[in-house]
Amino acid sequence: MVGGAQTHRLADGGLIDRSVPLSFRFDGKTLLGFQGDTLASALVANGVKLVGRSFKYHRPRGILTAGSEEPNALVELRSGARREPNTKATTAELYDGLEAASQNRWPSLRHDFLSVNQLFAPIFVAGFYYKTFMWPAKFWEAVYEPAIRRAAGLGRAAGIADPDHYDKAWAHCDVLIAGSGPAGLAAALAAGRSGARVILCEEDFVPGGRLLADGGTIDGLPAAEWIARTLAELGSMPDVRIMTRTTLFGVYDGGTYGAIERVNDHLPVPPEHQVRQRLWRIVAKRSIVAAGAIERPIVFAGNDTPGVMMASAMRSYVGRYAATPAKRVALFTNNEDGWRTVQTAIGAGLQVAAVIDARPDVSPAHRTLASKNGFPVLNGSVAGVDGGKDGVRKIAVSLTGGARAEVDADGLAVSGGWNPSVGLTSYHRGRPKWRDDIAAFVPDGAPPGMVAVGAANGAFGLGACLRQGFEAGAAAASDCGRGGTAGSAPVADDEAFSLTPLWHVAGKGKAFVDQQHDVTASDVELAQREGFESVEHLKRYTTLGMATDQGKTSNIAGLAIMAAVTGKSIPETGTTIYRPPYVPVAIGAFAGHHRDETFHATRLTPSHHWAAEQGAVFVDTGLWKRAQWYPRAGEKDWLESVTREVKAVRGGVGFCDVSTLGKIDVHGPDAGVFLDRVYINSFSNLAVGKARYGLMLREDGIVYDDGTTSRLAEHHYFLTTTTAKAGLVMQHLEFCRQVLFPELDVQLTSVSDQWAQFSIAGPKTRELLREIVDPSEDLSNEGFPFMGAREVALRGGIKARLFRISFSGEMAFEISVPARYGEALVRNLMIAGKSLGVTPYGTEALGVMRVEKGHVAGPELNGTTTAADLGLGKMMSTKKDFIGRVMAGREALVAPDRQVVVGVKPTDKARRLRSGAHVIPKGEIPGPGNDQGYVTSVCFSPTLDQWIGLGLVERGRERIGEIVRAHDPLRGEAYDVELCNPVFYDPEGGRQRG
Amino acid sequence: MAEFSWDIRSPLDRTLVTGPYGARGEAGLSLTEIRNFDLVQAMARRGKAAEMAAAAKARFGVAAPETPKAVGNADATLIWSGPDQFFVLSKGGRHGIEALASVFAGSASLSDQSHARALISVSGQRVRAMLAKLSSIDLHPDVFAVGSAAATSMDHTSVTLWRGGDRGGQAVFNLLVFSTFAESLWHTILDSAAEYGVTIGHSEELA
Amino acid sequence: MRIVCPFCGERELGEFTYLGDAKPRRPAADAGEEAVYDYVYLRDNIAGPMSEHWYHGGGCRAWLKVTRNTLTHEISAVVPAAGAGAAKVDA
Repeated sequence: MVGGAQTHRLADGGLIDRSVPLSFRFDGKTLLGFQGDTLASALVANGVKLVGRSFKYHRPRGILTAGSEEPNALVELRSGARREPNTKATTAELYDGLEAASQNRWPSLRHDFLSVNQLFAPIFVAGFYYKTFMWPAKFWEAVYEPAIRRAAGLGRAAGIADPDHYDKAWAHCDVLIAGSGPAGLAAALAAGRSGARVILCEEDFVPGGRLLADGGTIDGLPAAEWIARTLAELGSMPDVRIMTRTTLFGVYDGGTYGAIERVNDHLPVPPEHQVRQRLWRIVAKRSIVAAGAIERPIVFAGNDTPGVMMASAMRSYVGRYAATPAKRVALFTNNEDGWRTVQTAIGAGLQVAAVIDARPDVSPAHRTLASKNGFPVLNGSVAGVDGGKDGVRKIAVSLTGGARAEVDADGLAVSGGWNPSVGLTSYHRGRPKWRDDIAAFVPDGAPPGMVAVGAANGAFGLGACLRQGFEAGAAAASDCGRGGTAGSAPVADDEAFSLTPLWHVAGKGKAFVDQQHDVTASDVELAQREGFESVEHLKRYTTLGMATDQGKTSNIAGLAIMAAVTGKSIPETGTTIYRPPYVPVAIGAFAGHHRDETFHATRLTPSHHWAAEQGAVFVDTGLWKRAQWYPRAGEKDWLESVTREVKAVRGGVGFCDVSTLGKIDVHGPDAGVFLDRVYINSFSNLAVGKARYGLMLREDGIVYDDGTTSRLAEHHYFLTTTTAKAGLVMQHLEFCRQVLFPELDVQLTSVSDQWAQFSIAGPKTRELLREIVDPSEDLSNEGFPFMGAREVALRGGIKARLFRISFSGEMAFEISVPARYGEALVRNLMIAGKSLGVTPYGTEALGVMRVEKGHVAGPELNGTTTAADLGLGKMMSTKKDFIGRVMAGREALVAPDRQVVVGVKPTDKARRLRSGAHVIPKGEIPGPGNDQGYVTSVCFSPTLDQWIGLGLVERGRERIGEIVRAHDPLRGEAYDVELCNPVFYDPEGGRQRG
Repeated sequence: MAEFSWDIRSPLDRTLVTGPYGARGEAGLSLTEIRNFDLVQAMARRGKAAEMAAAAKARFGVAAPETPKAVGNADATLIWSGPDQFFVLSKGGRHGIEALASVFAGSASLSDQSHARALISVSGQRVRAMLAKLSSIDLHPDVFAVGSAAATSMDHTSVTLWRGGDRGGQAVFNLLVFSTFAESLWHTILDSAAEYGVTIGHSEELA
Repeated sequence: MRIVCPFCGERELGEFTYLGDAKPRRPAADAGEEAVYDYVYLRDNIAGPMSEHWYHGGGCRAWLKVTRNTLTHEISAVVPAAGAGAAKVDA
């Protein structure tokens, strides 16, 4: 049955399923196609010739190819959030309900307002934007660019988040094959029979490659039968995987390949729980590129008229889809292969208007065919096309010898020969080599482990494709140590091949090289005249080959024209560098699962769910979610909550989850010596049961990280790092252990996740701990002095570690329990501390109290400061070597005028201090010459009832009491601040020791 | 004095919902969190790898793995975690850190990791398809046989992976993941597994 | 890129962290500022095979010395750092 209005559908034949009609809409018009159609073939079957408007000139365009090389037939597919611009109609599988719209036209495809651009075509030449929109500079962003973007360009992005899911996966194999044409299938057969693990990627939704359109006889069987038999055999091999709808797009180092699988692009919406597309990273020991070749156009005036189509594409539409792009076809060819289109056309009952063959010596067989079917064979070339948005009407031919002829036809098939797909073989900066006999570039070597076969290697005969594929498959399997028997190769005849190179026919009217970017032959010639001769310059100046099709049908023609005008040969002119991806790959596929809240992995502290129950506000700190503050009903803003938390700690007791600190077990008899070498201060002399603050430098003398380290046993230290540097410090310590000091007997293990650790602070800390710690434990100042560290029993039977360390300046302990008890511990602290008003506090209050106490943290340990800058210079041991010791002594790092940590407070107590403000001497003009440092950390101090901060200020510690200017050009502020002791709170330290 | 209860919460306690998840029909996968295990990391002292191996052999009757393997006896599994180091995975304190301290005294340093990891067991017909989304390692049965182990990364997170004995003719893969990353990785696993249909459970028994 | 970890086997790049030139040796404690300056700052920039430190942090946590051709990314040798694992006594 021929469905509905499918006026250009043949009554039978093709690989479409006529029992499954599919309804679809193009530019709002409902049409019918069949299962097995692409959008392009269904449009062809419905007689649609005009599919889009061109990029720059808004010229009417049709369908040029039947594959992923298509430059013209780009549509917006789907609607709403799933609208996908620049989708190739030639590869989009038809599904019931498909919606597509043409691009770059207004108000409609047939009546496009901006087609007036064609009238101005003479000025839209190569380099037009560069030459025209130069002045005034500020007009570029405000006027020119928005205007150009409206006028030029292609489809519109959806503009809203993609509702579909994407994922990424790894695959491993011995032999990876790109392409399932005869060469690829033969390679898979040989490799599979040898016992190799094989992955074959095919970008089409049906395996077979050109066999699907061109047929042929293999092993005495019609191509379709041979394909079916081969697929059945491959399907019986458990380690052979055929991935259709999958394009191998990139080749990376070490035998890693990128492929994109369009898992559900052929459905309106992916089924529930399924992804739209999947990005594959395939690791293969060997790879075989059987990616075929791309038929190339011949550049002539009007070659972009809808109805002008690649000869092989016309065979695909007729042979594979039983859809006829024209009723009366002319062929323009310079080679033998083009003539197959004539045979296909005749076989389908189409009229052949004429064959225009650029070669002087057309075979007698072809001449017989022509006379039998009543069409002329014209020796010459196409000089122009008369037609427009309704397609081709007449073809002007300039005959060899100078005479002119005219051909009436509604379709023109063009074959300029074939370009092997050399992308994959060239992605490691390989440069293909020129072969005169086929007038094409072929791979010249390939990335390690890769070989090209068949048409991708310049072998265009069916027999040669099968032979090369099979041999490569067997060899690759053998290289992988697979010794099975490959059997015999499939056999077919090789077709004759003859070609006379022809790239460009001079004529009147625009002759397009790159149809997607509207680059004409005269643009290439202009580029040459203006000095952009190198192919890399040509590409960038004219934008030739820079559209989404990456010049698959245009690059070689462009450089052939450049070669002609420069008088060089094509190989001398050379190709541009090939880079992946071979086809556009959606960013969503690269992101996979990593978007929105799963953009990166998240770490949760042991008290996270409890804190969430309390209504904590969380902040992202690296990968962590940390409770920032715990708002209570009636609090108007974060400052009010944080102030309450600080006051509760300073006046009573509070606790904060500090499990995010990096924690490392340092074991072994040399653990102390090891720590002496990585810290500026000594740890080998630390008593068991004591903790010490340590500072690490980089080898260049700059501070790296800090933290407390406790000695839990003779040969066991427990080291903590900052939250931010946890992973890096572990890596650094392993480097020290394994590379710098392998002679030391020391073992390192991260125990960051083993322990739930909480800081308990405030004058009532001991009271709270007495509730929860077993009464047998002595928590008195004598029994558990400042910087003590030991294991204690808790009521109810579990063990905990207690560290008497303080970041807040208050009487404080850190308590840690094995992580699965972490949530129980916070709940028990709340119970035990109820009568004491125990208050959970977040990272903001923690930060306020550390600024009040003058402790340095991330903003001060910023990769530019020395120990002395931080006021910790005296910690540097002179009795031992340690990482960074020598470089820390360099002149510039001990210069007296360095910027050092100092306290900063506005003289106006009501003023808010901002971090980032520059410190300028009073009375001086702000500027780099007078910049003496900046404010690093600020907070509102509830204790001092004003904003305070820390800063890095030149000679800061010698200038306590001096009034300077805080200059904040970002916020347009400047105000007086006093430089002061950075320890704002309890400078004598009685509270934390008491 | 208040009474305190010390409830244990596994890292996945709040997020794991038992029952079916994802595509309906026969589940292609089962995902089980194993809870409340003992896990001790043993790392040989300098030059003491042979002594550590001998101590392990004496204690467990099997040599400690010297290559990425998991070996075991009835009540402990020794899983390679890096050069000259391995995990001892067990239940009920028999081979917890206190029990092992004397066994490896002088030959290895021990760190308790019982609370530092979540243990997830994955099996089923589609297990390799699902893991291929998380793991860059080749899990083909010829390459990653029963007893193979790997210190590797999934979703940029360190994971210790090993293949246990087959269950019902299906491969079983065990994943030790960092506790604080466990929820995040769990969601990634569910996302990867949803299309195959999953049966989710938890267990106190080591497989 | 893939690196064959001597302990774990072939792994993908994402499991490793690059540090840089593995040739400089940390000078002895008494070597003086010049020697340390050279160690910290002076690096050869080789177009060709180069010995580099890589860390298998996403795997077994071993530091490795990798000989990599900076022009082709071809890796010709990977050996563990002297102290990887339980350092041998003669390390």
